[in-house]
Amino acid sequence: MIRAAFASTAITAGFCLFVLLVVLVPVALLYPEPGEVLSRFLLGPFEKTRYMGNIVELATPSMLTALAVVLMFRCGAFNLGVEGSFFLGGLTTAAMVLWMPLPPLVGIPLALLAGAIVGSLVCGIPGIVKATTGASELVSSLMLNYAAVFIGLFVLNYYLRDPTAAMLSSGRFPAEYRFESLIPRTRIHIGSIVAVAACIIGAIYLNRTSQGLEVRISGTGNDFSRHLGLNSVALNIRIQVIGGMIAAFAGGIEMLGLYSRFTWQNTTGNGWTGVIVAIIARDNPILIIPAALFIGYLQVGGDLVSRAFGVPTEIVSLIQALVMICVTSVAIFQHPALRKFVQGDRGGAAQ
Amino acid sequence: MQMTGDETAPQKALVEFREIGKTYPNGTVALRNVSFQVIEGDILAVCGENGAGKSTLMKILAGIEQPTQGTIHYEGRQRRIADPNVAGDMGIGMVHQHFSLIRSLSVAENLALGQEPRRGLLIDRRAAADRVRELAQKFSLDVDPNTKVGSLSVAAQQKVEILKALSRNTRLLILDEPSAVLTPQETQELFVQLRSLRARGVTIIFISHKLHEVRALANRITVIRSGEVVEDGVLSEMSDAAISKLVMGVDVTRASRNQRDLSAATPVVVVKKATLATGDADRRINAIDLTIRAGEILGIAGVDGSGQEGVVDLLCGNVQPDEGDIALLGKPMALATTLDWRRAGMAHLPGDRFQIGGAPHMSLVDNVMAGSHRDKQFTRGPFLRVGAMVARTNELIKTFNVRCLGPREPLNSLSGGNAQKLVAAREFSSNPKFLIVNQPTRGIDVAAAAMIHGELLRLSQNGTAILLVTSDLDELLQLSDRVAVIFDGRIAIVLENDGLTPERLGPFMLGLEKAS
Repeated sequence: MIRAAFASTAITAGFCLFVLLVVLVPVALLYPEPGEVLSRFLLGPFEKTRYMGNIVELATPSMLTALAVVLMFRCGAFNLGVEGSFFLGGLTTAAMVLWMPLPPLVGIPLALLAGAIVGSLVCGIPGIVKATTGASELVSSLMLNYAAVFIGLFVLNYYLRDPTAAMLSSGRFPAEYRFESLIPRTRIHIGSIVAVAACIIGAIYLNRTSQGLEVRISGTGNDFSRHLGLNSVALNIRIQVIGGMIAAFAGGIEMLGLYSRFTWQNTTGNGWTGVIVAIIARDNPILIIPAALFIGYLQVGGDLVSRAFGVPTEIVSLIQALVMICVTSVAIFQHPALRKFVQGDRGGAAQ
Repeated sequence: MQMTGDETAPQKALVEFREIGKTYPNGTVALRNVSFQVIEGDILAVCGENGAGKSTLMKILAGIEQPTQGTIHYEGRQRRIADPNVAGDMGIGMVHQHFSLIRSLSVAENLALGQEPRRGLLIDRRAAADRVRELAQKFSLDVDPNTKVGSLSVAAQQKVEILKALSRNTRLLILDEPSAVLTPQETQELFVQLRSLRARGVTIIFISHKLHEVRALANRITVIRSGEVVEDGVLSEMSDAAISKLVMGVDVTRASRNQRDLSAATPVVVVKKATLATGDADRRINAIDLTIRAGEILGIAGVDGSGQEGVVDLLCGNVQPDEGDIALLGKPMALATTLDWRRAGMAHLPGDRFQIGGAPHMSLVDNVMAGSHRDKQFTRGPFLRVGAMVARTNELIKTFNVRCLGPREPLNSLSGGNAQKLVAAREFSSNPKFLIVNQPTRGIDVAAAAMIHGELLRLSQNGTAILLVTSDLDELLQLSDRVAVIFDGRIAIVLENDGLTPERLGPFMLGLEKAS
């Protein structure tokens, strides 16, 4: 089984590389120096500490949102409220920091907790609605994302706005609330360590706790959990609230790690990236870490060729889309010959 | 060349299998070097345990699967049967164990599917209906072309399946365990029809593992064991004991019940006037009274869909009765959920081991430990003691003789019989006070079935009250202390099992007789 997991990881990595080249090579050929474009995209992100720092900065929020998505998907809830949770989590954390003058040691955890609680509503409400009325959590969470953004903008406009600032933004956070950079010449902050730790804790939760086992059983979607007498409805709601809290917490961390004011005018896309990362990681919390770094790497590479050669950044989305198609193509993963090739020959299944 | 019309001519082979082999991509060898002939005009019984490869061989002949080795010769010519359509053109029709009819369409529509008679752009319904009448008359299988298939009895649906298989100038008819879904009387009728088909020149292959049916119908027999042909010959030259030994490879001792007097035993489950008036029609039940006593196995007999599933749903807490009372050891259970039932000592071996009884993609450890994953023995705070869980799983794998590569394999890598043993291991090992078993041995091999039967009898001797729901009447009569016959959601009669026969149960199962 471990070998099979390794095989599917290897196949995923192979496809990521394959797709990267299939998209990049023809695009690069359109430019006078195709070799330069390629090497800038592929190797550029590793050239400077700052660029590598960018990869980690980009991967940090999507690791947490992906963890939220994985937990909910594994429990059988197809909840896409992470985007709205992330937004409201960032907003609430910003508001707490501005409104509650507490010493940072107490204030920061409190602000993040408040953000997590408020943000969890966007994932939690669709869960409750599903349990009580049967309405699809996929649809209601998608719609609630927009409601979350507009409520957030209302609060920003009427309560948080700094009238002296030139743009729509909150006041400036006190300097002692902002996370310090851990590595010189980068903006990598404590949030990255928290995100990696969260993924590991997520893996332990799913695989090594009684409740994690119940989550996985509920997520199989058949009648097994009912047969065992598990209360999967309550569990489902609980997991969606927890998922929303994680995504909202990520929003708070992002706010304190990278921003000096609350400036979001719309959803940030970190939730959607989290969904992509979760799919590439094949719902495995540990694999979220490399998957998020890979997506961060693509974004940095795309950014570099865009600045240097004017290559449209849309190619990053194109690569992401193709990677997702490949990863989700169960047909490919179940292709016996391909599997055999990667896994090595193993005859004699249980019979 | 044989001369036609020569009565004494050696029999002509319609089909010849030559060294057929089938290996699945996952390495499972289903068939190995299978060679034998199907003689034209014969009724050939193909016997073997479940998983022996007989269904695979028939699927190859019907074009549903492709062999990885060997060739098939049909009427003396080598043929490649690429898909079921080719098989149809060649005159080979197959009736599957699970019907492939569409319940919401009429008989005529079902038969016309894929070969609809047309009038312009539209389907010519009258021509389709006429065609069914013509076929029905030709083969004397009586069905009404305009009835919806869903409203027909199982036996009538099977007739439609047979007609469908015969609708393309069929010369070879394959039936996969045709009697599994029928009552004894219906089986008798089916056999009469099959004999008359043979008289019309149709060659028949039928798969069965019921020896008395093979005797009643076939003239030749081919026994397949572990993917190989171990016997191929004329049926009248073989004794029952010899065939049985060939099928199983070893002598399997059948677990047998001791006749016991249970009239004084404590009632464990008492159901009074329980009614389920909502939900699926075939799960509804009407004012049912049942008592299951400690140490007793109560069998429920009935044609599929007579309300057995409703009784199971009710007694495992899936649904609550609309009216009536249920008690488990004196405790009222009418409003109880599955968790309440389980806490009160209920265990349940469900009919579907991969949809209800287990999670196919999860490991054997997860599947076995689910349910006891909150026990102190296997947890430390919120965490699972994985070592203890694996040890327990290995222990159960050993006691229940589950053949697998290891406890971390997913459930769906196991064969049906082994998966069933694993689920049974989980349910039986909780020392239940009340156990529901639903189709415990459907689709599993004889050795695994014997093991499960043995466990059921052992549990009943230790005082567990057992509700046995099965459509296999042999199994029912072999294990049950009492038999309740259910028809149309009502208990028609409850009989003591002192030498009960299928024939005695049949009229009650069909609703022809009622307890006075």
